[in-house]
Amino acid sequence: MAHWFHRNPLKATAPVSFNYYGVAGSPAANKICNDLRTTRARLLDMFTDITCTPEIMKNATDAYFSLLQGFIASLDGGTQDNKMRYIQNFKWTDTLQGNTPSAQQDMVFELVSMSFNVALWYTKFASRLAGKENITEPEAKDVHRSLKVAAGIFINLKEVHIPRLITPAEKGRDLEPRVMDAYIIQCQAEAQEVTIARAIELKHKATIIAALAYETANFYQKADHTLNTLEPECSSKWRKYLQLKQHFYMAYAYCYHGQTLLAGDKCGEAIRSLQEAEKCYARAEALCKEYRQTKGPGTTAKPSEQLFFIKLGGLIKNTLEKCQRENGFIYFHKVPAEAPTLELKASYGLAEPVPFELPPLSEQCTPEVYATFDLTRGAKNDKAKPKEEEVKPVKEPDLKPQKDTGCSIS
Amino acid sequence: PTIPEGLPGDRANNRDGVLVDEFGLPQIPA
Repeated sequence: MAHWFHRNPLKATAPVSFNYYGVAGSPAANKICNDLRTTRARLLDMFTDITCTPEIMKNATDAYFSLLQGFIASLDGGTQDNKMRYIQNFKWTDTLQGNTPSAQQDMVFELVSMSFNVALWYTKFASRLAGKENITEPEAKDVHRSLKVAAGIFINLKEVHIPRLITPAEKGRDLEPRVMDAYIIQCQAEAQEVTIARAIELKHKATIIAALAYETANFYQKADHTLNTLEPECSSKWRKYLQLKQHFYMAYAYCYHGQTLLAGDKCGEAIRSLQEAEKCYARAEALCKEYRQTKGPGTTAKPSEQLFFIKLGGLIKNTLEKCQRENGFIYFHKVPAEAPTLELKASYGLAEPVPFELPPLSEQCTPEVYATFDLTRGAKNDKAKPKEEEVKPVKEPDLKPQKDTGCSIS
Repeated sequence: PTIPEGLPGDRANNRDGVLVDEFGLPQIPA
């Protein structure tokens, strides 16, 4: 297994029929409603279809969103809201809040919640691919790109669409800024993990690897701090993951910084840097244990027993022994009491989110068809149903990592 | 190490004008 990523569960939603009897006053209007129902159902199916690829996901997303926008964008050239925007109640669970759904009668809420799940799907697709044995270079690129696509979706939602909601998200819900920020930063950090693995594989300079590892550790720390004011019962497990990755990549940074120092004949400082790498690694190992023991949403794993984790321990040990050997034979440097200050700035490999754009409005959604929707005729829609629809959790495919062979991304 | 084969679309210059691959790493390793 080349990589391991923690994943929170997908959002679940109640079914929506888009049956607006009376309101949809033409065959073309009825067709839009029918197509909304089928494209929504198909997109939801794709989230748990193990054979779904990014291309299929994009097609399914575009098919639904090109129609959904017909109920959000202004079609009559005016500045007022689309008259259909508030016709339907939508329910969505949140990734950290179990099965208790949030509900809003707003098509924008649907757009944002569904897009959020699309982004989550990209992160899960990346995780599944990255956990494979014998991952190929094109697959590594797919992992890298998927994480950047997910980051781009989260950013777009946060900056463009969430501010349009009438009702702001409650604390700890997916659409609140802290949770959004944590997801954005996590995606970027994980994409950089793939880049670090590639940089090591291709034997890039130690300075490049150390700087990128240091920045990645800082990303994880930032994501963790973003969540520190949330309720511990919903965020603790996720935060343990972010903390263990932070310390793991700080260990990487000190390890490769030590190699740079040794190459510059600063053997005493190199030894101290490697000793600091050992400390960070030990802390990451302890956090792996805490992660496993912490209850909360998300995947269960034993990361410290995975080869990607064990390999770093071996690298630190061997590099430290090499430094100590050379110091005993050649340099005779004193080992400083203080660890070297890492002031590393990555010039290479920082992950740039892929900008997300909605598809063009469907050709079905013309002003003429739009005019045949008549709200005064009273919709017999889902919101009028007295019975509360239950929101069942999504049954996700098994994402357990496959057998670990020790192969890494090339 | 051998220089990785990049597809035409993989290559771009970063802000310092260095040729980088799809991951943003220099095309020519150390």
